[in-house]
Amino acid sequence: MNIEALVDETKAYYCLDCGVCTGSCPVARYSPGFSPRLMVEKALMGKAEDFLTDPDVWSCLTCARCTHRCPANIDYLEFARGIREEALRLGNKGSPAHSGMFQSIMEIQSSGIKQDRITWAKEAGSIADKGEYFYFVGCLPYFNVIFANFPSQPLDIGRNVIKILNKLGIEPVVSNDEKCCGHDMLWNGEVETFKKLAAANIEVIKEAGSKKVIFHCPEGYYIFKNYYTKYFGDLDFEVIHFYDFLAERLKAGELTLEKSNGVVTYQDPCRLGRLAGIYESPRDIINGVAASFVEMERNGENSVCCGTTGWMNCSTCSKEIQGNRLKESMATGADTLITACPKCNIHFSCAASFIEGIDIKIKDLTEMVVSAMNGG
Amino acid sequence: MEKVTGSNGDFAVTVRKKARYVDEDLCTGCGACAEKCPTTVPDEFNMGLGKRKAIYKYYTQGIPSTFCIDAVHCRTFQKGKKCGVCEKICQAKAIDYKQEDKILELKVGAIVLAVGYDLFDAAKLPEYGYGRITNVINALEFERLLSASGPTEGHVERLSDLRDHELIHSGEKKLKKATKTLGKYEKKHKKSSADFYKEFTAGNISDGDEFAKWAKQYESVQEATKKLEALKAKAEKFDVATRLAFIQCVGSRDFRFNKYCSSYCCMHSIKEAMIAKDHEARTDAYIFNMDLRTVGKGFEEYKVRGAEKTGLNYVRGRVAEITQDENENPIIWYEETTSQTPKSLTVDLAILAVACEAPKGIEKIAEMVGVELDHNRFFKTDPLNPLDTTVPGIFVCGCAQGPMDIPESVAQASSAASRAAEAVAGKA
Repeated sequence: MNIEALVDETKAYYCLDCGVCTGSCPVARYSPGFSPRLMVEKALMGKAEDFLTDPDVWSCLTCARCTHRCPANIDYLEFARGIREEALRLGNKGSPAHSGMFQSIMEIQSSGIKQDRITWAKEAGSIADKGEYFYFVGCLPYFNVIFANFPSQPLDIGRNVIKILNKLGIEPVVSNDEKCCGHDMLWNGEVETFKKLAAANIEVIKEAGSKKVIFHCPEGYYIFKNYYTKYFGDLDFEVIHFYDFLAERLKAGELTLEKSNGVVTYQDPCRLGRLAGIYESPRDIINGVAASFVEMERNGENSVCCGTTGWMNCSTCSKEIQGNRLKESMATGADTLITACPKCNIHFSCAASFIEGIDIKIKDLTEMVVSAMNGG
Repeated sequence: MEKVTGSNGDFAVTVRKKARYVDEDLCTGCGACAEKCPTTVPDEFNMGLGKRKAIYKYYTQGIPSTFCIDAVHCRTFQKGKKCGVCEKICQAKAIDYKQEDKILELKVGAIVLAVGYDLFDAAKLPEYGYGRITNVINALEFERLLSASGPTEGHVERLSDLRDHELIHSGEKKLKKATKTLGKYEKKHKKSSADFYKEFTAGNISDGDEFAKWAKQYESVQEATKKLEALKAKAEKFDVATRLAFIQCVGSRDFRFNKYCSSYCCMHSIKEAMIAKDHEARTDAYIFNMDLRTVGKGFEEYKVRGAEKTGLNYVRGRVAEITQDENENPIIWYEETTSQTPKSLTVDLAILAVACEAPKGIEKIAEMVGVELDHNRFFKTDPLNPLDTTVPGIFVCGCAQGPMDIPESVAQASSAASRAAEAVAGKA
């Protein structure tokens, strides 16, 4: 998409030049020179080349703090995505984290490979080939290869979700043919790869005959809800977030949990909070599993991103953001920081492992739920 | 107003005059009743920052200068409580607990809708922390703090300090009561509480419920004293608020809420900042804005005077968010767009210039009189006859038709009155 069309689509011409976006931007605070406002201004003045060739195009966290607060309702998020497509076309590629390994994995998945991505699930509980409920696992099996030595393994989240669903009497479909949801490819500007992955996933769910697809990963949930529908029209299955699903079951008394001692705080994932508007469900669940829950100063709509996205441009700026956020979580007096997104968990665990003075446990909410199911 | 029928030149209006439980022909407005009334209630006119009594006048200069009883809080109107103090104290014998609402049937030739406006609820913007951060307030609250007749008599104090003073006051009261109870035990057993507690904790006195209660009471008094002392030590360092941040366009010029400019806020923020600086020379005031819209005769000069003579700081940049530090000082986060730099500034008070909104209930009035509202919920007017609503004989003035400042509202009021006179004379 060319820049003029992008300005039209995102209504960037309404820009008031007020600075709320740049004042809200976590990157701008630590990385002088990065400015969402100036990118919009330059696009409006026909000087888009200035930023299209700048590696900073890839520094945006796409966390939507700016979009959420913009008094002119400009869809900055879509603007940021659009300029990446254009930057990529001009040969500006950004620097992938982990030497581009994740991007390669995503590319390979789009070309059709034979995977073993359900052995762990069979060990964790009972799953089905076909059925009403489909559990869309996402990238956890791949993350597990790389982050296996982290305090909590990424795949533990998947195991926990299956255990909880089983406890609720649900035997979800977990498919060997599921692919990467394409979220990161889309935000990396690789729209064609995204479309291939999305089409394959829609087919897999169709074959399983599922009408309800459950996501734990906020990125998968968000991308299915907003971009699968954008590119492929209405889906013939319902897209459900695991925490909405679980919170409802808890309210109905279908699961009894025992609260654990200790004080916890919670990190709202950008895709789950600001972008999907799911703030209450995880909090309802936390109140069911933890005796004491305290909020960080910046929570809910004001929450701050975990520092990097799309496995791109992980930098000293990312570490500043992460270290600062971890300190904010410690300032609440909590002993545990609860995450609800596998990537938040990975990024904070990474930062906590080497930034000095960080002393807080980092746990995924599903881990808290499973231990609460087993009696606190 | 409960019902309106008829048409231009001949309206019948049903009005409910609420019982004030005070005979307005007898009340002299002396205020003896309010002085003696035992019930204190947050004062709405002072934006809840001060206190009033259950018998009160909405504000000092109100006309008619007659008191009225707030039946929701008055002890006499609450079941099971006896009071009647105001009735006893009133020399004019104006108190009438049995007064009832009156229904008035008015025949009028024209109607002027002067229902005013409501403030935008700043809590709708979670990024500014209004309602969560104690020292983030709105401009009208600040106006009351600045006012000599306001809750602080014009001293600009941080709301957290006012809260702590209140806590000290109520804490002292509670402590006095608790110490009195200790005194009873001491008298009965002829022993100081400290001595008793030493023996009790050493295990020399073990039997008896009363001793356990005494010990518990002693412990709670010790703890309350400690807390109170700490609070008092903190309060000794309290100072008037000297670092002030004025945040413009809160809820206006914002597509999420009101797209329009509220037009008067730039002027009132400059005015409030100048008065604050007059009251306290140490004041550092910052006005965060996209552009200062000081439209009107002499207004532009006023803005320049604010910067050049008074030394106000105009910062270009709309505020992104407000957090607070460990001393409850608001921290303002913004991009200074002139230098293209994200910055933060710690202040004592953050004052939000909240939007002017059509009042709650305007839809009900519009339906009752049959006039239309515009897309911003204000009364719709004819561009060429700015005081005329969509119904002949019904006029509007002031903020009921859109945001405007006091001089303009006053001018409109005169105009609307003459339009109404024309209608009554059969010429409109």
